[in-house]
Amino acid sequence: MGQTTVRALDGVSLEIPAKSFTVVMGPSGSGKSTLLYLLGGLDRPSAGQIEVNGARLDQMDENQLALFRRKTVGFIFQSFNLIQSMTARENVGFPMQFAGVPARERDRRALQLLARVGLEDRSAHRPNELSGGQQQRVAVARALVNDPSLILADEPTGNLDTSSGNSIMHLLAELHEQGRTVLVVTHDPRMTRFATHKIFLLDGKVVSETEYQQAVLE
Amino acid sequence: MNPLDLLRLIFGNLNRRKARVALTAIGVVIGTAAVVILVSLAIGLQRNANEQLYGIGDLRQIQVYPNFGGGEGPLPPGGGKAPAETKLLTNQALDEIRALPGVSKVIPRDPLMASLLMRYKQLEGYSSIIGVGTEDLTELGLEARQGEARLQRGTVVIGPMVANSFYNPRLRPGQEPPPPPDLYGQTIQFIFIKWDSQGKEIRKMALFKVAGVLKETRGESDWSLYMRLEDAKTYNEWAMGRRINYNKDGYGQAVVIVEQVEKALDVSKQITDLGFQAYTPQAYLQGINNFYLILQVIFGGVGAIALLVAAIGIANTMTMAILERTREIGLMKAIGATNRDVLAIFLGEAAGIGFVGGLGGVMIGWLAGQGINVVAIVYLANQTAQQGGMPPSVAVYTPLWLPLFALLFSTLIGLVSGLYPALRAATMVPVLALKYE
Repeated sequence: MGQTTVRALDGVSLEIPAKSFTVVMGPSGSGKSTLLYLLGGLDRPSAGQIEVNGARLDQMDENQLALFRRKTVGFIFQSFNLIQSMTARENVGFPMQFAGVPARERDRRALQLLARVGLEDRSAHRPNELSGGQQQRVAVARALVNDPSLILADEPTGNLDTSSGNSIMHLLAELHEQGRTVLVVTHDPRMTRFATHKIFLLDGKVVSETEYQQAVLE
Repeated sequence: MNPLDLLRLIFGNLNRRKARVALTAIGVVIGTAAVVILVSLAIGLQRNANEQLYGIGDLRQIQVYPNFGGGEGPLPPGGGKAPAETKLLTNQALDEIRALPGVSKVIPRDPLMASLLMRYKQLEGYSSIIGVGTEDLTELGLEARQGEARLQRGTVVIGPMVANSFYNPRLRPGQEPPPPPDLYGQTIQFIFIKWDSQGKEIRKMALFKVAGVLKETRGESDWSLYMRLEDAKTYNEWAMGRRINYNKDGYGQAVVIVEQVEKALDVSKQITDLGFQAYTPQAYLQGINNFYLILQVIFGGVGAIALLVAAIGIANTMTMAILERTREIGLMKAIGATNRDVLAIFLGEAAGIGFVGGLGGVMIGWLAGQGINVVAIVYLANQTAQQGGMPPSVAVYTPLWLPLFALLFSTLIGLVSGLYPALRAATMVPVLALKYE
């Protein structure tokens, strides 16, 4: 541990416009997840600057980063990361506990968001009673619960079958249409259909689409 | 995070791993139960000792004796050395003691020098007579069970056990002894006995009416007869064959009553400094109570060792839990939990195990204490019935503060054991926690 330095992202300089649907493509180990975690304030850069909505993440302390994640970012993960002992409604409402929202308001908002992802009848079910697609929809509802302006999704369709994956993609596109900035890290080429911006990463560096296609074909 | 939500989350998380929490909590249950039982036992022993010492007397009283110099006589408790100079309890000396701050009353006493044989109907009995310099015995903390605790010329007030010393001298072997007589209001014949230089017995008779029978104190007064100092002086002069001048000879003893119990030790020391021998039960009680306090600490310490072992169990369980829930910690951070939130959750869970275990321990400890009480009291009551003495009223005593303290302590133990794992959880790098497999 910590004996050899691995540069996940090296000299990457890019700007992601607000309210865009950006898809970051790259093979495993290209540094695309690192990019997402850096933007979401879950990881810190060893060098360089990160600015989101005018806030310098690299200058924030742990507490400020937590508040930033709470207010500004909604995360969606490949493996859903739902808490197994909680029902769908509790999972969706969980982030609001840290924001100090009263229980009644949490329930109201969680049910509203579950209805929005089409799971109002599954609110009392635990994750192991839901299909993969349903679980990811619960995760999407959870990401929206604090009304963030930035949605960060790490391989959201990676663990899903085609049709479930499609429905999640449409859900993300909807969020974008409502005026949120959506950034999806994936190697699923279908996702590019919805993208307003595309970023291609190879070995920690941003490359053009042509370079990327060539490299992938090789 | 709102405290109620935090509490609900903590107990929800504990509920999720019932078996493991229960196994960990058993250690705390044993430790807490041990603390509760052992400390209760020490407190019970102390109460018992104090109960048995009940007869040691009124804590507001100091018994003062003259000092005959040369280190003779009993040394005052709590150290001090007898002065070489003779100090008698003359009237002047009593005034000197009366003038000390904190002294409420000084009552002289003089025991009867002659032997006493009592006769009542066909019964005979022996007892000791004390002459007291007050007519109202309640000033000495004595109360009447029958009649009144007041002395008049020609009356005596007797202790409750005096009647038990009466027997029938003409009783034949095999005959049932008579029950103790009810002496209240009766006239008793006193036969004072002294011996001259040739060893010849000289008797003197007097009649005294019993004006009152005292309540039991389990002390000296139970077996004594009280009469006015003037009456006692008359018979002492007869016994000694000369006149007594209290200004020169001094009293045999004086009872000093202090304003407050707390002042007893201090006044006692001042009296000793004046050159008299002073004795207060307070000094003994303090020593005895100190001993039991040490016993409580030692017993509590033994229980605390068990709790310490339990603490290691909690630390282990929490460390394991944090490994298993690393991704959950990462998720909590991703959805906006601060390091403090994570710390509070895991510290709360550790404290929760301590609390749950403590609750079980307090209940088991209390129940076991009650069980021991029942068995011990029956056993000890049998013992005392065979050997005489007072049966204990309680063997194990749990005061209210003890379970509350034990519960608080076990929770604190949980909290402290959870400190390291919780800090580790709180300071995890979110991205590493999320990727943990």
